[in-house]
Amino acid sequence: MTRLFIFIFLFNSTFSEGKGGEGMVSIKGGYYLPLYSLDSQKLLVKDFLMDVYPVTNNNYLSFLQENNEWERSKVKSIFADTNYLNQWISDSTFSPNLAKSPVVNVSWFAAKKYCECQGKRLATTAEWELAARASDTKADASKDKKFNQWVLNWVSKPNPKVLPNVGYTFRNYYGVYDLHGLVWEWTYDFNSALTTGESRGNSGLDNTLFCGGGSFASKDINNYASFMRFATRSSLKAKYCVPNVGFRCVKTQ
Amino acid sequence: MKYKFLKIAALVALPLLLNSCQENATKEKVAEEKECCKKKDANESGKVSEESIYNVTSFWQTQNKEKIQLSHFEGKLLIAAMVFTHCEAACPRIVADIQRIEKEFTADELKQINFLLISMDPERDSSARLLAFSKEYQMNNNWTLINGTDDATMEMANILGVRVKKLSDGGFDHSNTIFLIDRGGNIVHQQNGLEQEPTDMINNTKTFLNK
Repeated sequence: MTRLFIFIFLFNSTFSEGKGGEGMVSIKGGYYLPLYSLDSQKLLVKDFLMDVYPVTNNNYLSFLQENNEWERSKVKSIFADTNYLNQWISDSTFSPNLAKSPVVNVSWFAAKKYCECQGKRLATTAEWELAARASDTKADASKDKKFNQWVLNWVSKPNPKVLPNVGYTFRNYYGVYDLHGLVWEWTYDFNSALTTGESRGNSGLDNTLFCGGGSFASKDINNYASFMRFATRSSLKAKYCVPNVGFRCVKTQ
Repeated sequence: MKYKFLKIAALVALPLLLNSCQENATKEKVAEEKECCKKKDANESGKVSEESIYNVTSFWQTQNKEKIQLSHFEGKLLIAAMVFTHCEAACPRIVADIQRIEKEFTADELKQINFLLISMDPERDSSARLLAFSKEYQMNNNWTLINGTDDATMEMANILGVRVKKLSDGGFDHSNTIFLIDRGGNIVHQQNGLEQEPTDMINNTKTFLNK
């Protein structure tokens, strides 16, 4: 009996593991040069798998069913601020038209946990940026004026009151949707965007705050939207829950 | 006869035993896969505040290879910073800054205070390396130096609000902040930047002594 139970358990877990790979596509690795970095600081990104869509409210609800300590009323304030899931009606309900729209107002801690529970992780900034420089036809459209302008147009628009469903924007070269045009997304190392020190108690750039923070020279001045992302990341703290920041997960291949 | 019986019994028992071992192994594996969803991020004691760093449940290794959670320090005042020991410029200075604070307290007062250095470079800051570093800077028993997994380290940086950028030469750009943490794990004061006058930090720490 026990063995049968274990067998079913195993079968189930293998099945769900298979499901983990679903909805992901492979992104070809390459070099990524972070903003405000020297050429010598190019990062090598290995091939990886990325979720086709950002995580939706529905997806997030399923996660909460197994991890109720992350419900709105239970989450500890050190892991999420008071805006956590404030588009929801209660701990486990939201307006039906939000079901397939990207979950927002989630903290970095919550996003990281969600991905862990799927056997995945958050993308590093380098991975995210590498996937996001693909247009619908090119793996690297970072020098493509039309593409950059399209991205910039979205950045300059105010957020819609109700976020559209995922899959709303274009399918990029790799088959990934919505990297631009829907919501900003958490990255694993968003906190590597350094402009000031710890920001609870000070503001403004102060060089004594950093060990070696002198390499401020950008190589990507035509790509204005990438500065916007850099600025967004550097303004975030891990417990912030923001109405236009969502996330998706990746997996090492 | 007796011997033969034992032999048969062993032959019968052996596959059963092996089988049960395998079952245990699979059970463990299943448990491991599901662990993330079972793992609570909350401190189960429920005593600490929601803002307490003792809500963090990750495991760390000290310079003496002891395995601890941050709640190990509950009940003491904690003066903490994130460092990496291969750092040539800022890190020895941040240690010097903390030692400057340490000198302001009597031996009796120091019984209530722990000093904690959290490595942001778990790859290179092994326990042995941390121990050597603590000796080099003549740190006494009040000092704990810890390293954790990449994930635990990143989470801790985010709990403290320390920004860390890994550089391709193995170093890091990072914020230099010294934290005063009360007995319940709440961050109650921060000293930002290097070579600041530690007066506020010292006075603040004093207000929490003997409480």
